Amino acid sequence: MKKMLTALTWIGLIMSSAIAMASDSAGVIKDPAESWKHLWMEVMIDLYIMGGIFGALAIYWLIKYRAKSPDAVGKGPKLTRSQRWAWAIVPCVLFLADDLYLGASGWSAWNVYRNVPENAMEVKVTGRMWNWEFEYEDGTTSSYDVDGDEGEKGDGLVVPVGTPVVLRMTSEDVVHSFGITEYRVKEDLMPGRITYIWFYPKKEAESWVTCTEFCGANHSRMYAPIKAVPAAKYQEWIAKRAKEEAEG
Amino acid sequence: MSQSSTSQHVHHWEVSWAPMVATFGILFALPLAFSAYFVYENTLLTVIFAGIGTPMMLAGIAKWVSETLHEKPLIEGMSPVGLPYFIVSEVFIFLGFFVSYWAMRLSAGNAWPPEGTPEFNTQLPIIMTVILVASSITYHVAEEKYEHNDFPGFRKWLIISIALGLIFLGCTFYEYNHLLHQGFAPSTNAFSSIFYSITGFHASHVIVGLGVFIAILIPAFSNKAHKSLVFCGGVYWHFVDVVWFFVASQVYFW
Amino acid sequence: MSKKSEKFNLSEWIFTTDHKRIGVMYLIGSIAAFSVAGVMAILIRIEQSSLGPTLAADAMTAGQQYNQWLYFHGAAMILAFLIPGLTGFAANYFLPLMIGAADVAFPRINALSVWLFWAGIIVALLGFVIPDAPDIMWTGYPPYSILTGGNTAFYVFTVHLLGFASILGAVNFLVTVIYMRAPGMGWNQLNMFVWSTVTAFVIQLVFVPVLAAAVTMLLFDKYLGTHFFDPSAGGDVLLYQNLFWFYSHPAVYVILLPALGILYEVVATFSKNRIFNYKAAVYGGMWGVVLISGEVWVHHLYVSGMPDWIRIGQMISTLLISLPVGLLAISLFGTLYKGAITFELPMKYAVSCLFLFLIGGLTGIPLAITALDLHLSDTSFIHAHFHYIMGIFATFSVFAAVYYWFPKMTGKMYNDKWGTIGFWLNFIGVNVTFMPLFKIGVDGMPRRYWNYEMFPQFETWHYIAMLGALLVASGMIITILNWIMSAMNGKKSVDNPWKSKSLEWTHTVNPPGPGNFLKDVKVADDWTPYDYGK
Ligand code: HEA
Ligand code: HEA
Ligand code: CUA
Ligand SMILES: [Cu+2]
Repeated sequence: MKKMLTALTWIGLIMSSAIAMASDSAGVIKDPAESWKHLWMEVMIDLYIMGGIFGALAIYWLIKYRAKSPDAVGKGPKLTRSQRWAWAIVPCVLFLADDLYLGASGWSAWNVYRNVPENAMEVKVTGRMWNWEFEYEDGTTSSYDVDGDEGEKGDGLVVPVGTPVVLRMTSEDVVHSFGITEYRVKEDLMPGRITYIWFYPKKEAESWVTCTEFCGANHSRMYAPIKAVPAAKYQEWIAKRAKEEAEG
Repeated sequence: MSQSSTSQHVHHWEVSWAPMVATFGILFALPLAFSAYFVYENTLLTVIFAGIGTPMMLAGIAKWVSETLHEKPLIEGMSPVGLPYFIVSEVFIFLGFFVSYWAMRLSAGNAWPPEGTPEFNTQLPIIMTVILVASSITYHVAEEKYEHNDFPGFRKWLIISIALGLIFLGCTFYEYNHLLHQGFAPSTNAFSSIFYSITGFHASHVIVGLGVFIAILIPAFSNKAHKSLVFCGGVYWHFVDVVWFFVASQVYFW
Repeated sequence: MSKKSEKFNLSEWIFTTDHKRIGVMYLIGSIAAFSVAGVMAILIRIEQSSLGPTLAADAMTAGQQYNQWLYFHGAAMILAFLIPGLTGFAANYFLPLMIGAADVAFPRINALSVWLFWAGIIVALLGFVIPDAPDIMWTGYPPYSILTGGNTAFYVFTVHLLGFASILGAVNFLVTVIYMRAPGMGWNQLNMFVWSTVTAFVIQLVFVPVLAAAVTMLLFDKYLGTHFFDPSAGGDVLLYQNLFWFYSHPAVYVILLPALGILYEVVATFSKNRIFNYKAAVYGGMWGVVLISGEVWVHHLYVSGMPDWIRIGQMISTLLISLPVGLLAISLFGTLYKGAITFELPMKYAVSCLFLFLIGGLTGIPLAITALDLHLSDTSFIHAHFHYIMGIFATFSVFAAVYYWFPKMTGKMYNDKWGTIGFWLNFIGVNVTFMPLFKIGVDGMPRRYWNYEMFPQFETWHYIAMLGALLVASGMIITILNWIMSAMNGKKSVDNPWKSKSLEWTHTVNPPGPGNFLKDVKVADDWTPYDYGK
């Protein structure tokens, strides 16, 4: 009994630390979207196993132990003292091992989320009720407003394929949130603070940023396109924007 | 864990209109009157709501007190063991405010106190501390008198305690007035917000405590008092007293 | 045991200080809140069922009315339906009966609680009358809740009134359980439901006050011009969110624990079985939950820009909740083992709850993992998670409770045929409604969105969810009508229809009169509410 417990604890600990280390030593750059998908699979498998065990047992018992007569009573075991402890500690150790495993995987994915690559391009994001504004490193801006004047909504966020992008975000009024499903990132914007996220547009794609923190009547119309375009096209676009701005 | 016999209760449904009337009094006098005044800025409506609510509240409380004096409860002496649980939750309300204060203050670093905060007079809080501690002592004396069935003495010391409580409140009002004149209002900055909230919240507890004392005093004139109420009033008052140490040390002297 | 029939006396009901009648008043109030909030849910589902405004002429109106519905739906379901339904109704009615007490320790304070609860419901409902209903969601985050033209004050007062009712209830019941147990009844002889409410009330006692403080600051900021949450004057935007979740996460266990407590009762009775590993469930499971519940609130703030180390620390503590909850699950499922199981209506609800609990609980795990939540947060996935565990599992456990104790409360039997039809409609309906939300949530459907024109591919799923919601609505109407009709003219029930061994069934008549027990209760040293084997 005791041996088994010790063994289990060690397995849990070793498993978790091994995973945490593996992610640090690997040479390839992982981006948040990729590590998210990887982690998601892992967690889903884990949960299907957990749920499967409990669910299958319940179904089996519900069928097997149907009352044979109206006066039948249950014969559930009366546990002895050591059985009681065993039935508390063994499951706890198993659950703990699983939690540590999940926690360690989660932690290494988290590190990917929070460590911005050095060559990342920086864009300042300002959210307000209810539109988005983006400012590039050279001061050029772009915006998007669903209810823009005369149907002029703006270009949204345009980024070059192949360059990691880090967003430094703040809000002018209430709390908003910047969520991009395509890249599996999300973080709130609020007045008086600057928050950040980064993502890695690896291929050409058009996706959406949606505001995901409740911000009033037009909360669900506070979105903008995110266009990942080839580097050349990006240069073209930003030059055009700069010119437009210079002309006012 | 044992339970006294309950046979006197099994014959009829117990009723009391006090809780319901008091609740609707509270509903009118606080949420509705507040909303009428601050949200809808309608003075007439405010007066009407407060006018309906206050008498209902008072009637409910009066009825409640008189019932505790005249009716035998299911089990005697439960309130003194219940009160500490209630005080636990009171402690957590105060903690909610204090934690907010600490969080703001510690994250502000050198930018504290924020602009617009005047120098505080630190003598007054010391005087107030003395007054409040004195009132705890006088109430304790009142309790002693009550133990010895000395109702005149009980009344005298109770009145002294109430007077000290009132002086304490007077100091608060004096101070508020003084600060407001210096332009330090609740809306001045984050510190003023927390200052008025914590001291005001404490003062509201003093007011509730005084209310309890008055509810004890009135029947005491006809030589009646409810043992548990006298005891609980005291425990509550001492609690309010202890909280004041935290208020004073954190808000004035830190 | 028989009882002479009494004439209905209205003032005896309204002014009552009897815990059973107060329990019934809680039940009526919370089901009323549930019905109105349920109607809001149906409106929400219809609005989302097609792209573009469905129930409004233009986008602005659609947004405004949707937000008001959703505010009422969330706030009322949690604060005015589930918490009072479990800790108000079920605890009030059955806890004193289970411990052999004639009433609670402070009957008048109990009446005060129920009236404060009703006052809270009245303030919430007044939102439909005033021109500027609150539109700040049940979370009420500033600065929006301060800048909005909606009536934030009503939100604050609803919370105050319901919160104060809870605190008084907590004091009352803790004292009752500690001092009023029948002679001979030791701590290990309590019903699981009693333990679950004790632990829930401990949570209420400690955490509700913090919420009260938070919303009070909100009130001051909006109406008295203070600056608690205003960074430009030294305040802190995130302060409110922290205080709010410091209460509102533990609040989910105020729901979970009594809901599980009811299931233990029902499952034990219909398996005629003892609780599997009672002590582990009580001391490890329930008290373990209480212990951890206060250290995990930041999992609701994963995307709000909290410091990195807190986000990781609370990921670990959140995951650890699966230990105590896992112990509770083991003894709940284990109670089926070698039982003699029958499937009466309350048990049907209970069995469905076993699976709903697994789905709802296990989907909390990906949310607990910070990195996964950075995508899942504020999507429909969250909605699916908490509707499974709270909107269905805990709600169904209230229904199981009403059916299980229906003969006790009314002396009559519910209509089994309609009850069963209602059950299947409910059960199928909720799965059709909320399963699609998992899928579109992972695909990025943001929550609190009436408009999703950027994701037109979700329309079919929303439409299916609406059909499911209509199924639920029909099931709910049948269920509620069944209660009302059966209470008025159902068949008379036998005294202990389920042959339970618990005190409320063995020692009182249906329904119990004033004072509950015909003679004082004493229990033997080796008595437990679950000795079926003897
Ligand atoms: C009754 C209500 C209830 C309950 C019980 C829970 C239980 C849990 N919840 Fe949930 N939750 C809510 C109601 C509830 N929740 C609500 C209302 C929200 C949204 C609020 C809002 O934003 O409006 C929410 C949101 C929410 C979030 C925030 C998401 C976000 O907004 O970004 C998170 C994140 O961690 C979370 C996690 C959990 C976890 C880990 C549990 C755990 O307690 C679950 C534990 C149970 C199990 C794990 C299953 C049984 C155990 C086993 C079978 C043992 C083996 C298992 C393992 C070892 C994994 N919940
Ligand atoms: C206990 C909690 C609970 C319960 C039971 C429910 C029940 C339901 N909920 Fe809700 N829900 C929440 C708690 C709950 N919900 C919370 C906390 C939120 C978050 C709010 C926020 O984001 O801030 C939410 C949000 C929420 C959304 C998210 C909207 C969005 O993000 O944009 C949706 C959408 O589908 C939804 C749907 C439903 C449906 C269809 C039901 C159905 O199960 C309802 C079925 C009930 C009925 C249909 C009522 C039946 C009765 C009658 C019809 C009356 C008849 C009258 C008599 C007979 C007298 N809920
Ligand atoms: Cu901006 Cu929601
Ligand atoms: Cu939580």
